[in-house]
Amino acid sequence: MNKMFAVIKREYLQAVRKKMFIFMTIFFPVLMAALFIVPGLMVAKGLGGKKVAVIDGTGKLQSAFAHHLEPAVPDPKKALSGGNRGQLPQSIDVEYRDAHDQANLDAAKKPYLDRLYVDRKSTIGLDAVLVIPANAFEGSDARLTFYGRSSTDPFTQERLASVTNRAIQRQRLTGRGIDSSDVDTLTREVPLDSVQLSRSGQQKKGGEANLIIGFIFAALLIIPSFIYGLETMRGIVQEKSERIVEVLISSMSPRELLTGKILGVAAVGLTQVAVWLTLIAAVGTFFATTAMMAGFDISQFLRPMVFVYFALFFILGYLTFVCIYAIAGAACNTDKEAQQLVAPIQMVMMLPWFIMFAIITNPDSTLSVALSMMPVYGPITMFVRTLVSEPPVWHVLVSIAVSLATICVFFYATAKIFRVGILSYGKRPTIPELWRWMKVA
Amino acid sequence: MSVVLSVRDVVKTFGDVRAVDGISFTVQRGTITGLLGRNGAGKTTTIRMITGVFFPHAGSIEWLGSERDARDRIGYLPEERGLYRQMKVKEHLLFLAEIKGRRGSDVVQSAERWLKRFELWDKRDAKVEELSKGNQQKVQLIGTLLHDPDLIILDEPQSGLDPVNMLLVRNLLRELKEEGRTILLSTHMMAEAERMADDIILVHKGKVVLSGAIDAVRDSFGKNTLHIDYEGDGAFLEQLPQVKRAMIVNNAAELSLVEGADPQGILEATIGRLRIRRFELAAPSLEEIFIEQVGAETMESIR
Repeated sequence: MNKMFAVIKREYLQAVRKKMFIFMTIFFPVLMAALFIVPGLMVAKGLGGKKVAVIDGTGKLQSAFAHHLEPAVPDPKKALSGGNRGQLPQSIDVEYRDAHDQANLDAAKKPYLDRLYVDRKSTIGLDAVLVIPANAFEGSDARLTFYGRSSTDPFTQERLASVTNRAIQRQRLTGRGIDSSDVDTLTREVPLDSVQLSRSGQQKKGGEANLIIGFIFAALLIIPSFIYGLETMRGIVQEKSERIVEVLISSMSPRELLTGKILGVAAVGLTQVAVWLTLIAAVGTFFATTAMMAGFDISQFLRPMVFVYFALFFILGYLTFVCIYAIAGAACNTDKEAQQLVAPIQMVMMLPWFIMFAIITNPDSTLSVALSMMPVYGPITMFVRTLVSEPPVWHVLVSIAVSLATICVFFYATAKIFRVGILSYGKRPTIPELWRWMKVA
Repeated sequence: MSVVLSVRDVVKTFGDVRAVDGISFTVQRGTITGLLGRNGAGKTTTIRMITGVFFPHAGSIEWLGSERDARDRIGYLPEERGLYRQMKVKEHLLFLAEIKGRRGSDVVQSAERWLKRFELWDKRDAKVEELSKGNQQKVQLIGTLLHDPDLIILDEPQSGLDPVNMLLVRNLLRELKEEGRTILLSTHMMAEAERMADDIILVHKGKVVLSGAIDAVRDSFGKNTLHIDYEGDGAFLEQLPQVKRAMIVNNAAELSLVEGADPQGILEATIGRLRIRRFELAAPSLEEIFIEQVGAETMESIR
């Protein structure tokens, strides 16, 4: 017991003194938040100043394109939170070309298309060319064509399509004798707000914030498991390659050693989570007010139960992963071999992360419910479900029970493989060999 | 003299390979026992059974003279290094003592005393990886001593060390012996064992081929080995009819004589061809005995 405590103490102190731990603890949450929020803001900010030529085959839409198109929604945060990307703050410089007298639109657009290849910073450079066919008003098969150097500019496309269509609709309506001042009233769009109702009757205005917060928490939950899992694996490989393990095993049983190691690493994880939750709570309360003004209602994510669940599912997922990595470490002699062994397993373990979008958007779907009650996948999936939805209590309990059982089974298997593998210096065992080790040990 | 450890008929197999095939020996308190043999002879497997890492398939390992947990009675120095590179020296030593069940101010004082004695006091807060190889070996050795073991087991303590550090380890072992400690020294370096050991156990292919007090072992082979130091080309010595086997290195020859051969004949043969500086009839070296026991062809791969 005292020997095991010595191992726990060593593992813990060595880990928390590393720069990696300090980095992960202090900067990682900030980094994660930045990773998800900054690109959004950058997209919003970076949209400005597109130069587009409009080749109008009808010749009737000059008024719509006569001026510089100002951002529809000037505040980027508001645009993002509204969930309507078409309204992103983007200004477009339009160069209008009346081409209704041109028999051949292809000939008319040719010089403009050539200018797409000119450096966009020069005065004649263009980002895109929009071609409106002559039959845009009457033809049922008429299509607008958007030419751009990159096809991945949905914002500009949506914006131009909407401006063109509104102008065409407007002219169609005024053509039927409707007064132009009435047209605005008649065609006014009603914006959509999404409201999520929980069982407790609480209203949540989520939208994209749901997605971002879900991803941030999921990342905080899963990434440390991988990082510390890898650290544990490296630690075991190092103990083997430097023969420290022989000194250890000549002093205590492999099971004592493994238990000590895993508990030590678990203590490291818990320390990290404690620091994070304190940070999030402190920073969260501070920013909640600011964020709410921008349309994010962050306080809905900072329910006390979220913290409890986070700590709980973090430790469950963490221990599961650490056991898996410990097996790889015990089975291999070099970091490289161990990496190769865990790489495919890692991909399988990452599954919930790859389909996180589906889980967050459909937290109560059959897929999400099934994943949340499966070994290995349970902790992260269940946590995300509790974050964005309110799963029934028995779902949560089943998930916890399954995870605990998984950890027990994994620990048992790890201890057995550890017993054999930790002293084998031969070539890396295959998975069937590992299975055999487990049975002989 | 009392027996600390008694190993009886231990067997360990790995698949079809009998790595250790019925080895028996005892270790006497206050002596250095050399466990000798080629790499792969079964030395490390034997040690691992003693340290409790492996269970023998048959036979027994008995610890005598104390009620302490067998694991805590051992101070084990593995081949090469067995230290965490990132840990600080003193911290590491205390950890090593703690996993042997010793902690508290006694151990701290003892660690400090050893550090001073081995001139490592200035390096007590340095990381292990910052130390030279010889110093790491010293730290490792202190780690095996702190918990006051009944038996110190050293597996190839000199492998990978330069001559200066080899000398250092050799002197340390002598000091430890003078303090009355018991040491089991596993090595394939016959000359080292010859210098250090009181008793030897010669292991080959998992079996003990020879064991006993080193002087008794050597005497039992009689004085049939001729040591000659000379100047000149001594290659012809190997061809002489009285010579059974020869090891000739740098103007020094160790000749095993055929039964009943007269060394005088060899001395006569050298006249006019070599300038003799030393001519001695002695008991064979351990290396010679080893060849005698396990065959010359095996020896080639050792050297």
